[in-house]
Amino acid sequence: MKYAFFPGCTMAYRLQFAEKSIRMVVPKFDIDLVDLPFTCCPEPNAIRALSDDTWLTFAARNIALAENEGLDILTSCAGCHESLSLAKHELEKNPERKERVNEILKDLGLEYKGSSVIIHLHQILFDEIGIETLSSKVKRPIPIKVVTHTGCHLLRPERILHVDNAEVPVKLDLLCETLGMEPLDYMDKTMCCGAGVRKTNSVTSYAVLREKMTSMQMVEPDAIVVFCPTCFITFESGQRVANRIFGTDFMLPVFYYTELLAIAMDLPDTELLLNEHRVKLELPKSEESTKETGVSRGDSMASSP
Amino acid sequence: MTTSDPKGSSSEPLEVEVVSTDPELRIGVFPCKCGKNIGAVVDIDEVARFAKTLPGVVHVQVNVYTCADPGQREIQDAIVEHGLNRVVVASCSPTMHEDTFRKTVKASGLNPYLCIMANIREHVSWVHQHDPEAATQKAKDLVAMSVAKAASLQAQPELDVPVTQAALVVGAGVAGMQAALDLAESGFKVHLIEKQATIGGIMAILDKVFPQNDCSICILGPKMVDVAKHPNINMITMAEVESISGYVGNFAVRVKQRPRYVDIDACTACGDCVEVCPVDVPSRTDQNLTWQKAIQIPFPQAVPSSYFIDPESCLGMDLIRCGKCIDRCEQKAIVPSDRGKYIDLDVGVIILATGFKPADPSKEPRLGWGRYPNVITSLEFERLINAAGPTEGALVRPSDLIKPESVAIAQCVGSRNISTRSGCSNFCCAESVKCALLIKEHYPDTEVSIFYQDLRMHGKYFEDQYQKAREEGVKFIRGRVGEIQQYPKTKNLRLSVEDTTHNKLLLEDFDMVILSMGAEGISGNFPLPISCTHDSFYIESHPKLRPVDTSSAGVFICGGAESPKDIRDSVIQASAAAGRAAIILQKGRYPIEALSAKIMQDKCNRCGTCVSRCPYGAITQDGTGKVSVMGALCQACGTCAGDCPQDAIYMPNFTNEQIESQIEVALQGDPSNKIVAFACAFCSYRGSDLAGVSRMQYPANARVIRAMCSGRYSTRFAQKAFELGAGAVLYSGCHLPSDCHFQTGNHWMAKREPRIRGWMKRNGIEDERFRVEWVSAGEGKKWQTIMTEMADVVKTPRKSLAQSKKTDDKKTKTKEPTRKKKVTKAKPKSTNTKTGASKKKIPRKR
Amino acid sequence: MTDDIQNQKLAALKETARPCFQCGICSSSCPVFRVAPELNPRISVDSIITKGVVPREGNEWLCAYCLMCDQRCPMGVSLAEILMEIKNISAREGKAPPDVIESAESLMGDGCLSPISGRSEKIRTELGLPYLPRADPTDVMKIFKATGAIEVIEANKETTQEATE
Repeated sequence: MKYAFFPGCTMAYRLQFAEKSIRMVVPKFDIDLVDLPFTCCPEPNAIRALSDDTWLTFAARNIALAENEGLDILTSCAGCHESLSLAKHELEKNPERKERVNEILKDLGLEYKGSSVIIHLHQILFDEIGIETLSSKVKRPIPIKVVTHTGCHLLRPERILHVDNAEVPVKLDLLCETLGMEPLDYMDKTMCCGAGVRKTNSVTSYAVLREKMTSMQMVEPDAIVVFCPTCFITFESGQRVANRIFGTDFMLPVFYYTELLAIAMDLPDTELLLNEHRVKLELPKSEESTKETGVSRGDSMASSP
Repeated sequence: MTTSDPKGSSSEPLEVEVVSTDPELRIGVFPCKCGKNIGAVVDIDEVARFAKTLPGVVHVQVNVYTCADPGQREIQDAIVEHGLNRVVVASCSPTMHEDTFRKTVKASGLNPYLCIMANIREHVSWVHQHDPEAATQKAKDLVAMSVAKAASLQAQPELDVPVTQAALVVGAGVAGMQAALDLAESGFKVHLIEKQATIGGIMAILDKVFPQNDCSICILGPKMVDVAKHPNINMITMAEVESISGYVGNFAVRVKQRPRYVDIDACTACGDCVEVCPVDVPSRTDQNLTWQKAIQIPFPQAVPSSYFIDPESCLGMDLIRCGKCIDRCEQKAIVPSDRGKYIDLDVGVIILATGFKPADPSKEPRLGWGRYPNVITSLEFERLINAAGPTEGALVRPSDLIKPESVAIAQCVGSRNISTRSGCSNFCCAESVKCALLIKEHYPDTEVSIFYQDLRMHGKYFEDQYQKAREEGVKFIRGRVGEIQQYPKTKNLRLSVEDTTHNKLLLEDFDMVILSMGAEGISGNFPLPISCTHDSFYIESHPKLRPVDTSSAGVFICGGAESPKDIRDSVIQASAAAGRAAIILQKGRYPIEALSAKIMQDKCNRCGTCVSRCPYGAITQDGTGKVSVMGALCQACGTCAGDCPQDAIYMPNFTNEQIESQIEVALQGDPSNKIVAFACAFCSYRGSDLAGVSRMQYPANARVIRAMCSGRYSTRFAQKAFELGAGAVLYSGCHLPSDCHFQTGNHWMAKREPRIRGWMKRNGIEDERFRVEWVSAGEGKKWQTIMTEMADVVKTPRKSLAQSKKTDDKKTKTKEPTRKKKVTKAKPKSTNTKTGASKKKIPRKR
Repeated sequence: MTDDIQNQKLAALKETARPCFQCGICSSSCPVFRVAPELNPRISVDSIITKGVVPREGNEWLCAYCLMCDQRCPMGVSLAEILMEIKNISAREGKAPPDVIESAESLMGDGCLSPISGRSEKIRTELGLPYLPRADPTDVMKIFKATGAIEVIEANKETTQEATE
């Protein structure tokens, strides 16, 4: 299945190893990625806050590019996914705006039609590929305790995105369980990481991060698992800044899900990915195992709805 | 509508009056001067002279005060002396005195429905004070219109049906029980149906009840026993209504009762069976906080005082599967062969008291119920604090059975939220204050905080309890709880809520949180089509005038089924419903609307349109497609007739013929200058009367034709008026969306507007000549404005229809199917049973 | 933006805000309000419904756009739309925070939110990642011009100039 791949500026130029992990993993599921001349999605907070029309037009351009090739868009960043999905929703809801946007796009030789679907890697893995298939490809389960952070922009608003239950998200936890991890429930699970306000007011942003990570730390996880490069950077690098500002001592390793998937599937060269991490985690050596031992050990999550 | 004689014991419909069978019209016209009220403006003598010239008029008599005793006697004498068989009183508004004069003529032996009025006071003398000439002309026209109508009036028999002297009460919570007891005490037989194995409803499982904080089951228990013991109450538990047919006074009800598997009379509620039953099921009474067995009694004070077996969880009542209770029971009360049964009942009235169900807390997942053990609902709290509950009245945390030192109560859960229910649930604020007081009473050192959005202490004594709670140290913070999170180790809870009074976020820890649950409607889904709100509560006939009636005659609603409310209001409403139901029962006979619609079977093509127009369910189609009207349910609004494509519905006193003859007469002279104005009896006509009472002046162009409901005005009337050259036409009804006194007539009338305008356009008639207006009984000023504006419009003379058609000659006048010519003295019921060759649609199922 | 369009937008904003009954669920769900009391989404909406004006203090720039308020509002008030509109109005008045302008200018230049450094390209090559095609800068500029973004950026540059003078 071919998709127009939309890594987004943050993943492409600041979290390259995460993109690498995606490109390592998806061919194993018969997914081909096509790269198109996308711009920034654009960023759903800063650019949209400047001018709603500008945001909508850039997003429409990106979608139109994919439509031109007859491809759906595969996003790997929660922010990109939100931006493109909300833009698509707005254009469908408001034909007048769609007309105005298309007038501008015409000048660029493009037209937004609404034929492409925006889908995030989270949805592809959980909804389309499915836990069973994933489970069958796990060769080296990773028996660590993790806390998952699905991210604001994958969950909300639920009525438009339909990725997971916005108040009690479970899908990323189940994806982690499939890889042998033990996902822990923790307070403030659906809370924002604080990234959205970091450039405007960094102290506020790190204060939000502090709240979030305090709750994470309470359950003593081995690592954080995310599905968004911005959240990744916020946790991994931001925790140090927070420590400096507030005197906390957060030091949690962070993983983008497909990194762990690549490791669990025992794909070659995964050290390339882990080398780039700033907070390293020594993953426990686990012998090659059959499917039986691949299930999570111990009690599963502290609470399952 | 006159009432019939009380408590007739025969089952035959009572014929009340003699119908004039004299084919010769002998109309008597009685113009009234009304002192100076009419006489000062209208030349009554001129009107009288004119009336004498009208066809069918044999006697004209002017009076100064027709409604007074001497005036009435004169009418009566005239009827006898001159053999009058139709009476037209030209005086005030029929709203004023139609009943009066009908009684007058009835006393002389004339059928009351042969007497009508022409309104020459509110509609003429009071509003055209500065133009006596025009006023007199208008009065003459109105009299002529009434005489024309009178010519085709038919006597209407006043029938009634017997009322079965029994009532059905569905639901035996506190409301159902109250209604049943009230009716039983009044001497009527009551069948009380309850779905659960015990009566008592939600009240039976509460702990203490507001505002006296007395023990709930202690005050309810004796009442439950009264219900069971009352000789007039037939209590049927574990039963639901399966089907209902019939109509007010004569309902046939089929009840389906589930098997109990225990003989009520033999069971002594000793509880031996419980000891041997191997199956545990979550306890319904204790809100799933603890277990009970497959053989169970809902609670110790259950009525009937008997166990029952839940067939879903029972392993099997035979010796291979289980059957242990059968041996154990010394009374031999277990009945494995018990089968459900059907019970057929005949009742005269029905009261729906089916209550509501507590809102589902899992619909607001941000509050953590179901995931966090120490977040409980108010009903779960009631069971915990209840001495008969799972912890014998100790308030302890489900996670560790430790007494909570701090408790938070969150308001508006399941209510005031578009994703659950947008309405307020009424009782939860008081419920929470009660919970807080109970906690303080048992555990004075425990901190209690209530987080509310609006604290609605609306009931009697409620404010005092609120003050008491504050005195006891309960904290009240205005802010609706945003989310609840649980500490992983301690299972304590952290509430995130803004103290909106101080614009400050509170992140506070509590040992336990009580969610104050609202109500979720469960009304509807009942064999009778009683309308419900979109959130499933029954709709009353009128919120102020008839708050416990429904639009189905003989069916009443009360308690939580009508809207969420507390115990006191449920009991009050239940007594109200019982009172209303008793009126019908004690009269013994229910009057059928004398002017109810009648289907002219020879014209009817069985399209079934009328069935959907009737908001009372009075029109039905049987298996062959034949349409008939149930007189007892018909309210004579005429909406069915307004939409009948075959004009096959006869509306006594408002027939097509009568209305069209009024239109014809109204437009006989100078039609282009005239406005044919239709006004509905309850709203618009009264509004026009108010304009008169208030002496609001306007030009005299209008000729008003009264109908009971705006639903009566078919498209045909406007077309006919325009065909005859009317300058303008007004259709006026009660305000949308819900003011129509016949529920939906105004909506159906509004739907005809585009068709009429389409026809007007095709015939070159200017749009502004037709108006659809909504005038309420209090809008006299609006009526004056409309009359004035329309008078302006008719100043421009009409283009003749021929002229306007020249511009568009490929026109058919109307798109209506060709109809047989109306027979002038047609009998209402056609003896011709030919079904007709026209299309026979498949009868619609309701 | 003409007065007419502004009035229309304000009217639309009032319509969106109208169902709000000040319950406080939005504010108690806001992660920023939790650490910085200046941003209270409830008060932002209140200004619109009580006073009929858009708040001008600029606190809404602290919003992290996490959409928790929007998700939870029991009256279905679209707080995301409202807060974004307030930011738009503030930006048009030249009050956007400098980082927003920086991001916009970076987008104009590289088509990306932050300038693409040589180093980040190098890491891509080292990891064996393909070169990602870039958008034509003239196209990017066309969009900026056609949607009025240039004017907004200019308005903000003026304000910064005034501030420094």
